[in-house]
Amino acid sequence: MGVISRLARFAAVRPPVFVVTAPGGTAVRLAVEAVLRERGWRSVASPAACSVLVVCGRPGPDLEQAIDRVWNEVPPPRARIRAVAPEREHLLPLLEQAEHELADLRRHRVLRAEENLAEEQGGHQEFGHEHHDGHGKSGHGHHGGKVAGLDMAGQGADRDGLKLDVLHVQLGPVLADWPTGLVVRTEMQGDVVQRAEVETCAGVGGGSFWTEPWAAARDGEPVARGAAERRRAARCLDTLGRLLSVAGWPRAAGQARWLRDDLLADHPPERLAPRFAQLSDSVLRSRTLRWMLRDLGPIDAASALLVGDAADRLYALLVEARTAMDLLGDPTPLDPADEARGVPGAVPVSLLPGLLAGADLGAARLIVASLDPDLDRPAAVAVHA
Amino acid sequence: MREPGAVWAVVVLPPVMAGLALGAAGWDSVLAARDTGRPRALRAAADPLREAARLLLRPPRTVVAADRLLLRAGVVLLPAVALLAAMVVPLGDVMVMDPAVGVVWFNAMEVAVWAAVWLVGWGSNSAFGLVGGYRFLAQGLAYELPHMFALITAALGAQSLRVGEIAQAQQGLWFAVWMPVAFAVYLLSVLAMAFWGPLAHPVADDAAGGAVVEPSGPDRLFFLAGRYALLAVASAFSVPLFLGGGAGPLLPAWAWSLVKTAVVLGGLVWAARRFPVVRMDRFAEAAWTVLIPAVLLQMLVVGIVVL
Repeated sequence: MGVISRLARFAAVRPPVFVVTAPGGTAVRLAVEAVLRERGWRSVASPAACSVLVVCGRPGPDLEQAIDRVWNEVPPPRARIRAVAPEREHLLPLLEQAEHELADLRRHRVLRAEENLAEEQGGHQEFGHEHHDGHGKSGHGHHGGKVAGLDMAGQGADRDGLKLDVLHVQLGPVLADWPTGLVVRTEMQGDVVQRAEVETCAGVGGGSFWTEPWAAARDGEPVARGAAERRRAARCLDTLGRLLSVAGWPRAAGQARWLRDDLLADHPPERLAPRFAQLSDSVLRSRTLRWMLRDLGPIDAASALLVGDAADRLYALLVEARTAMDLLGDPTPLDPADEARGVPGAVPVSLLPGLLAGADLGAARLIVASLDPDLDRPAAVAVHA
Repeated sequence: MREPGAVWAVVVLPPVMAGLALGAAGWDSVLAARDTGRPRALRAAADPLREAARLLLRPPRTVVAADRLLLRAGVVLLPAVALLAAMVVPLGDVMVMDPAVGVVWFNAMEVAVWAAVWLVGWGSNSAFGLVGGYRFLAQGLAYELPHMFALITAALGAQSLRVGEIAQAQQGLWFAVWMPVAFAVYLLSVLAMAFWGPLAHPVADDAAGGAVVEPSGPDRLFFLAGRYALLAVASAFSVPLFLGGGAGPLLPAWAWSLVKTAVVLGGLVWAARRFPVVRMDRFAEAAWTVLIPAVLLQMLVVGIVVL
């Protein structure tokens, strides 16, 4: 065995992963994230940083196209996984296969040679694709000439009246820690979002994993309240993990997601409660986090859970999670109407453009993460449509 | 006592720096693995090595119309600057050089990081890379002045800009003890110049990696290794500035330098995980209205004591 192939084997262990989720793929995403965490595979936020692209669920044609573009940006050696079911028996072999593919450099040489050949025959196919979903490259403008077949950025007055380049940057649908199926088309100057438009991917609104217990109860199935509260707590921790990750606090985000995984794996409440208390305390105590979230994306109408800024929404989320955690052992039958009790995620996405205009990219990401709309719920997309 | 210019120091410097950088990366991986409940977290210590191997095996890639020259210049500049800055950092009594303006040399090298990060962000021809570049410039404006005043405070205490003399001036009492504000500001600026932990916004995942969104393969390896090296070198520089250099009982001076550096570096990596990222649109104001006055007051106190 040569040095290079030894190196390839060494490098193929625990590769960095970029996870993409299709509408309706939440259950698969959660299972994938749990397995990745157990095995110590790191999630990363860009195609350049990842070795494995994991697609959770079944993407529609529009998302499929975006995923293909992102896949083209992943340098070899690389592997793509299509996870369509949440069962471990389905996921574990896929991961093993990916590790195997990464270690096999010969395979990548052959693939590369084929690609080069196709490129020579087919001309420059990549030429002129100016943006990659979720990784918005140079935008196009109205005038200013062309470079390498791309339009140069146009200019416009910014909020201080300075002439600045206007970049068209698309956020989503393939973006780490981003609501599934959401696309925000922005016009940016510097790092400030001047205008934002919201779109959704095909397949949204088809029913959410997070509201399954209530839907089942409505259909007359016997559901214990504790099981529904478990789902609710997990949902809160999922949103919390996302928000903390966008807030650049990987430690707390990791703890929130670990707890979420253990909740969904039916760990007993008495083992989970102290861990939640610890996490909740450290988040509540963080003055830096409060300082960074204050005054972001203020909302004054809508439901009580949403009122206030991003910091208020974070604290409401913690209260919601704590309440749900206290009810994990409740054996009484579930009242379907109880769903309305402020489940996060029912935010209409039509709220977003108004909140994002004028925010810088960092703030805009935090605003979206603090609302974390669940586009699998018909309510989230209804107002927009 | 001091031995600047020892030939073997030149030979020893790169491996020591690489060792410290790798140690910091491994320590951070282990902490991350432990925090997410991964069994056998200690095994994660090898993850940075795997990442390095992975990046070595990958071809570099750029997007359409990227400015390769600027990108490469920035990527190479980062580790180069760390190495150049390390030349004035003493390991015990030995250092590559001990110029009369050692502190200024270190400062000048570290300012070149501004250029490096900006070049990488700009050269990528990516909106997210550009945002990362902007973020680092804003960060530079926030931390650089407090950082420079912290350096000058230590120099004032020793009445010399020569790093070796600053270390020797602390035979009686460490500067960290009677200049705590300057020491704290210096530690914060270490995180800022290596864009690490709470000051990692220029390369944060909310912008898909910011300045480092596009580089892959060896380009990425240079950038990331340079970042760890900067963190290690800046931590090591706090030892002669504030922690008495190589002074200590029993162990030889070089060992004390290493031990103190490891403690500062390990502590910073550990502490950085306990804070969310700070955004410059909020932090810059605090840096100018709180940090600068605080460190100036510290300097005044030191100035009066020295007089």
